[in-house]
This record gives sequence, structure tokens and C-alpha cells, in this order.
Amino acid sequence: MVDSSALTKKFQKEMNAGIASLVLLSVLDKSHGPMYGYQIARLLEDYSGDAAFMKQGALYPVLHSLEGSGLLESKVEPSVSGPPRRYYEITPAGRETLVVWLGVWKQMKSFVDRAVKGA
Amino acid sequence: MIHSIEEYLDVLKAELQGSDSATIQDALADAEEHLRAALASLRENQPETSEEEALAQAIEQYGSPEETASAYKEVERRTSPALVRETSAQQSSMLKRFLGVYDDPKAWGALLYMLISLVTGIVYFTWVVTGLSLSVSLAIFIFGLLFAVFFAVSLRGLALLEGRIVEGLLGVRMPRRSLFFQKGTTWFERLKTNLTDRHIWLTLIYFFLQLPLGVIYFTLIVTLFSLSIGLMAAPLVQSITDFPVMSFGVARYYAPLWSTPLFLLAGFLIWTLTMHLGKFIGQLHGTYAKTFLVTE
Repeated sequence: MVDSSALTKKFQKEMNAGIASLVLLSVLDKSHGPMYGYQIARLLEDYSGDAAFMKQGALYPVLHSLEGSGLLESKVEPSVSGPPRRYYEITPAGRETLVVWLGVWKQMKSFVDRAVKGA
Repeated sequence: MIHSIEEYLDVLKAELQGSDSATIQDALADAEEHLRAALASLRENQPETSEEEALAQAIEQYGSPEETASAYKEVERRTSPALVRETSAQQSSMLKRFLGVYDDPKAWGALLYMLISLVTGIVYFTWVVTGLSLSVSLAIFIFGLLFAVFFAVSLRGLALLEGRIVEGLLGVRMPRRSLFFQKGTTWFERLKTNLTDRHIWLTLIYFFLQLPLGVIYFTLIVTLFSLSIGLMAAPLVQSITDFPVMSFGVARYYAPLWSTPLFLLAGFLIWTLTMHLGKFIGQLHGTYAKTFLVTE
């Protein structure tokens, strides 16, 4: 007997691995200023509706790794309520990379669509 | 069932056991920032939900400690810290490894670190001595407490800065940010947490030692650099300016022409060895800084 829900979870996780980077870069590319983690999570929640694709906690390590590779930069600022917040902003290198990634994504999407449809 | 953010952080910390300590610190800071923000916004938008329900909802969206821990581990596995290179499996020759240090960003980074550590060492030392003596002498006044808290907070900031320098130049993964205080704690409580925090004392010691270490590093690098450059330049200088390689009193010694390559080789060897030494000291210092500056 195949445990389909566990398999689906695994499938979802593997797909998210790359897509999260693309989505986070796009969101920060379109935003009018630096955003902090919770803000980004809320925005993504609005986009995804009821189907939450990934846990919000999984966004943060991706943000760190994007920052580590120089696609994002961040600064910590005190907040009115609660602990200081880390604000993320896209770098010029991040914008360049996003253009390339969007190209890859378009190709990938049409390839998958065609493969799934079989036409 | 998790009843408070602190409990969540504790479980998360336990889940991340064995991960890089800097990753753990990132994960805890992220979770705390997010959950507090989520909780505040939930309480604002739905005042009728209880604190417990709101927290449960926030955690449901953020992910359980297990899920969060696995997300960090996953990303940590995929990305390596700055300057870490894939170590090639094939053993290269001794000579290649000896000269390969010129192509090693860690060696250059370490040399640069040793040079600037004199400046940062002086700054840290001055700051720590001034701050500590003022904190102690002002302690008889009420505002002395405020000053002590300010000093402790500044230490955390400086520790973070030093961490960034160490990570950038020595390639040792360090915390991305300092841990912060919880909202609603009084100044006195903050002072108490600081005084009982082992980490703040370790940071103090680190900053104290940074001056003597900085002096040693700086002197070592500058001396060895001058020695190697001097050796390499000596034959040339003596042929142009009549300046001897060595002079004792009135006796002047000139190196014969055939020894020119020997001088060049000696200078080059000394500099290459200095690069290796720098790399080694850099690694040692990185480990030492990590033990003293990263909160476990």
C-alpha cells in the first residue's frame, strides 16, 4: 500500500525548494521598499488563498540563503512593538538573476504543461 | 501543545541540536520575530480569540518546530558558508598544495584580518575599558543601571560586527544577528539577564584579548612581509643605490651577483610560508571567535 499523503508531502517539498527562491525574489522585486519576514508571509498568504504551499517558517532559511548568495540584502531595524525586525531588499544582482530565473521558469512551465497534456 | 513562544523556541532549539550554532541562532531569532509579529496582528484583528488560540494559529501557519528545524537543516545542507570550497578528492602534489595557498581566498582573507585586527582591537579594547569602568563607577546612581544596560547592548552589537568581519574574512560561519530582549521587560530585568548571561562575559574577554592579539598579528604579518620583500629587493637595491645587504659598524657586506636568485627564492619562500601561517592562524582565530561570540 502506498502512503499517498506522505508521498504528496514529499513531492510538494521538493517542488518548493526551487520555487520558494523564485517567488521570494519576485515579491521583493515588486515591493516598493524593504519588507520583513512576516509581511512577506502575509502577502504570500493572500496570493495562495486557502492552499498554503509551504509553512511560513520555511521562508526564512531561503531568505538567509538568498542573502548569502548576494541576491538580497537585509538590515535590522527596531520595531514599535516587539523585537527588532529584519528587512529584506533585492540587490541589482538579484534583479538580474530574477530575469534569468523567470526565463527558466517559463521554459519549465511550458515543458511541464506539454508533457502533462501529452500534446 | 505549545503554550508560549519561549516554549516553541526551546523545542526548536532541541530539534536543531547538532546543527551549526549560527544556524540555530538564526532560526531562533527568525521564529521569535515572526511569531511575535503574527501574534500581535492576530490579537489586533481578532480580539475575541484567546492568546492560546492565537498562538496555536500562528504556529500552525509558521510550522511546527520539527518542520521549521528540517527546513533550516535542508537549506544548510544545500548551501555552504562563504569561502568554503569543495575540497577535491584527488590528492594534489606537495608543491601544488604549497603554492596553492596563493589561490586560497581564506589565506588572503586571514592576512587582511590580521592587519585590520590591530585597529579593531584598539577600538574594542577602548570601548570595553571605558564602558566597564563607567558601568562600575556609575553603579551608585540610578542612571548607572541604564548606562550598564546600554553598554551591554552595545557589546552585543559589537560582537555581531566582529562576527560579520570574521565570517567575511576568515570564512567561519557566524551569527547573522544578535538575540534581542523580550518586549515588556524592565531595565533592571534586562541588566539581570545580561549579568547572568555567560555569553556577555565571554564577549568581554574576547574584546579585551583582541588588543594584544591584534598587536601580535599585525607585528607578525608586517615583519614577515617586510623581511620577504627586503630579501627579494636587496640585490636590486644594492646594484642601484650602493646600499649593502648587511653592515656591521663600518664593515659593509655586498651579496655577490650569483646569489641574486637565492635572495629572490628566500624572500618568496618566506612570504609563501607567511601565507600558510596566516591561513592557519585565521582558522584558529575563527574557531576561537565562534566559541566566544556565538550564543549556543
